[in-house]
Amino acid sequence: MASRQENNTRRIAALDERAEALGLKCGMGIADARAMYPAIEIAEEDCEADRRLLESLADWCDRYTPLVAVEGKDGLFLDISGSAHLFGGEKRLLDEVLSCFLHQGFAVSAGLASTPGAAWAAARFSLSPIREGKEKEALWPLPLAALRLPAETRERVESVGLKRAGMLLATPRAPLARRFGKELLLRIDQFLGIVDEPVSPRLPVSPLSVERRLTEPAMLQSEIEYLAGLLASTLRTELERRGEGARMLRLSLFRVDGVVNRIEIGTSQPLRDPALIRRLFRERLAALEGAIDAGYGFDLVRLSVSATAPFETPQAGLAGENADGEEELAMLADRIRARLGARAVLKPACMESHIPERAALELPYAEAAAGSLTATVRKSGQGGPLPPQRPVRLFGHPEQVDVTAEVPEGPPLRFRWRNVTHRVARSEGPERIAPEWWHAAALERTRDYYRVEDEAGHRYWIYREGFYGAETVHPRWFLQGLFA
Amino acid sequence: MAREAAARQTLFALRREVARIEGTLAERLVLPPVPADGALVRHSGIPSGSSAFIRTGVPRLDERLNGGLPRAALTEIHGAGMRDMGAVTGFAFALASLVLQGDASDGPLFWIGTEDGFREGGLPYAPALLRDYGIAPERLILSRVRKTGEALWIAGEAARLKAVSALILEIRGNPARLDLTVTRRLQRRAVLAGHPVFLVRQSSGTKPAGAEPTAAPVRLLLSPAPAGLRQTVSGPLPGSIGPPVFRVGIDKNRNGLPGQFLLEWAPDTHSFHERPVGHDPENDAENNGIVVSPSRHRPDLAPSSGALMALAEAGDGAPRGEPPGKQHAAHRGARRAG
Repeated sequence: MASRQENNTRRIAALDERAEALGLKCGMGIADARAMYPAIEIAEEDCEADRRLLESLADWCDRYTPLVAVEGKDGLFLDISGSAHLFGGEKRLLDEVLSCFLHQGFAVSAGLASTPGAAWAAARFSLSPIREGKEKEALWPLPLAALRLPAETRERVESVGLKRAGMLLATPRAPLARRFGKELLLRIDQFLGIVDEPVSPRLPVSPLSVERRLTEPAMLQSEIEYLAGLLASTLRTELERRGEGARMLRLSLFRVDGVVNRIEIGTSQPLRDPALIRRLFRERLAALEGAIDAGYGFDLVRLSVSATAPFETPQAGLAGENADGEEELAMLADRIRARLGARAVLKPACMESHIPERAALELPYAEAAAGSLTATVRKSGQGGPLPPQRPVRLFGHPEQVDVTAEVPEGPPLRFRWRNVTHRVARSEGPERIAPEWWHAAALERTRDYYRVEDEAGHRYWIYREGFYGAETVHPRWFLQGLFA
Repeated sequence: MAREAAARQTLFALRREVARIEGTLAERLVLPPVPADGALVRHSGIPSGSSAFIRTGVPRLDERLNGGLPRAALTEIHGAGMRDMGAVTGFAFALASLVLQGDASDGPLFWIGTEDGFREGGLPYAPALLRDYGIAPERLILSRVRKTGEALWIAGEAARLKAVSALILEIRGNPARLDLTVTRRLQRRAVLAGHPVFLVRQSSGTKPAGAEPTAAPVRLLLSPAPAGLRQTVSGPLPGSIGPPVFRVGIDKNRNGLPGQFLLEWAPDTHSFHERPVGHDPENDAENNGIVVSPSRHRPDLAPSSGALMALAEAGDGAPRGEPPGKQHAAHRGARRAG
C-alpha cells in the first residue's frame, strides 16, 4: 500500500489486491486504515519512480508502434494505425499487448477505439473494442467519468442531474456550453471523433526505420553487430531512393523482459554503406561493454535514421581505388566519436579575441567538418603586422606562481612554480592585454604578460594580474604557457 | 633434375621465410623496385630515396642520422621533465612543419594525448602554429582522451591512414601499455602508410619516461637551451629573447652514433640552423656585437663548429661521442620533480 500526503492528511494512494479485499479504498485516510487493520504495510508514494516505470513501459511499447504517448500518471496511448496488420489485426495485437503485460506482472486494462477519447474510456471501463462510427452508442451508457472532465466540472454537471454521458448527448449543446464551459463539449466531440485530438508521441518519430523480430533472442555482441549490418543493408535501398545518407542512427534493442536499450551514433558525413554503419556500431558496442545487460537476450532489433542529409555520390576513379583521404579521416573521426564520445576528436579554431584562453577554441570534429580542411597557409609577415608571439602550450587554467620582482610593476626576477624556484635570466615584456569590456566580464583585470627565460633556457609565459596602483596593490602572478 | 627441384624448393622456402620476416608477400620480394639512383630498399619495398627522410637542414645532424630522421617511421622524442614540454612540443611542431612543407597533400596533423597530460603540460596552442611553424591551425586535429589505452587505440587507427600527414602521440609517464608490441605496431603502420609518427614522452612526477625499450629506430632527447637575441635592423637587441633553441641529443640511432646538437628554429623561414655547442649568446652579442646567430648568415661556420664540439664534449666529462650525463635518457639519472 502506498500513501500520499494530501493537504494535512496522509491518504492511500495505491493499494494491492489483498488490501482491496479487506475493504480499503484509494483516498481513504491512513489513520482510518491503520485503525481498521493495524498490521498493514505502508510505503511512501514515489511519483518519480512511477513515472520512470511508465516511461520504460512506453519504451517497451515502441515495438508495436513508434507513436507512443504517456497519458496522465498511469496511461499510455498507442497509435496503432498502420501497424496493426503487422501483428495480424487489431484484435490480435490487443491480445498480445495484454498477455505480454500480464506476463511481466502488470495488471492492465486496454481499450481499442478510433478516437483517443473513446479508447481512454474503453480502457477505463473495460469495454470491448469500439468500432469506428459506433462511438455514440458506446458513449450512451457510460458515466460522466468516461469523458476525462475535471472533477469540478463533473460535479457541476452531476448536480443538475445529468449522471450519464448519454444524457448530455440528448441535451441541447448551446445551454451546456454556456453553463459548463467549452471543455465539456470539446471532450464529447473528441470522444465522438468530431474534433480531432492529436496524440503527441513521446519520442520523435524517425523518418526511416527498419526492424527485425527474432524468434530466438540474440545475446552476443557479434550477433547484434551482424543484425545492425543486416538492417543497414535493408535501409540502404530506401536511402538510395531518397538520395540521402544517414547523419544520425539509432539502434534500439528490445530485451525480452521489457527493457529497451538505445544506442546512437552520429556521423560527420552522410552514410549509407552497411559495412561502415556496422563498423561504427561495433565501436559503440565495444565502448558500451558492460553498460548494456543482454539479460535473456533481445527479441527485437530496430535501426532507425533520426537525421539525414543529402548524399553526394562521388565519381569513383577508373582504377577502382578512390583516394579520398578526407572520407577516410571522417570515418576515423566517427569511429572515435562512437567509441569515446564527441569530445575525443577536436579541431582547434582561432577566435577573434585578445584574451589568450579565448583565442583558441576546440570544436568537436563533426561540427568543425562543416568547414573545409583545405585552408591556405598564410605566410607570416604577409597581410598585416606580425601577430604577437604566443606559447606552444597553454594551460587551461593559469597556474598561480610566487614571484619576486624588483619593483611591483616591473618584470619578475625569480618565481616559484610547482614547488621549484626558477631564476629569470631574461625577460621580455610587458605585453598588456586589457579585459574585453564588451563581453560583460567586469571582474577581469588587466594582464601584463612577460616572456621569461630561466637559466636553463626554459621559456615561460607569465602574467601579472591587475594594474598596479589602480586596480590592485598586491598583484598576483600566473603562469599561463610554455614557449618552445 | 630431382636435385634441381629440391634446390628450388629450398630457395622458395627461404624466400617465404624472408618475406615473413620482412612482413610482405613472397611475390613482392622477387623484383624489388630499384630506383635508377640505386637507393637502398627498406622494409616492405618502400624505396629509400631522398623522400624517405625528414631532412632537418643541419648537415651534421642529418649525416649523423644517416640522411635525416626516417620519414615513414616511429620517432621518440623525450623531455627530461614536465618543464621541458615546451621545448619538446616546439620541436615536434618544427619537425611536423618540415614534414608538411614537403607534403603536397592537405593531410592533417594529428595530436593525440591524454587529459592528465594536457592538464599537466598544457594544451597545444593553435595560434602559435601559424606564426612560428607555418602550419594552418585547421590542419591540426586534437584528440584528448582519458586513458592511455584509448590514446594508443586512436594512434594505431590514425597511423593506418595514408591521408594523415603526421601523427604526434603524447604519452605521459611510463605506462605498462606502451610496450614493445604496441610501439612495433605503430612503427609498422607508420612504415606502411608512409608518414611519420612522433612519440612524445612526458615524464610524470615519480616515474621517468622511457625506461622500457620501444621499437622506434630513433630516440631524441630534448631540452631547451638559452635562446639567442632578437634580430633587429640595427643588429641584435640586448636582453631580448630570440628564436627558440633546442638541445637535441641522439639517444638511439640506427647506425649507433650518438651526438648532441644545438638547433635554432627560425620562425620566419621555418627551418633549423645549428648553433655551436657551448655558445653563449649574451657574451657573443656583447663582445663582438655583430652577429647573434652566425649560422643563419654564415653557414660556412660549420667546420669550425666541429672542433668546438669536441672540446665541449670533453669538458662535460662524458665518454667520447656520447651525450653528457645530464642529457642521458630520463630514467638513468636522478631527476628533480617538476
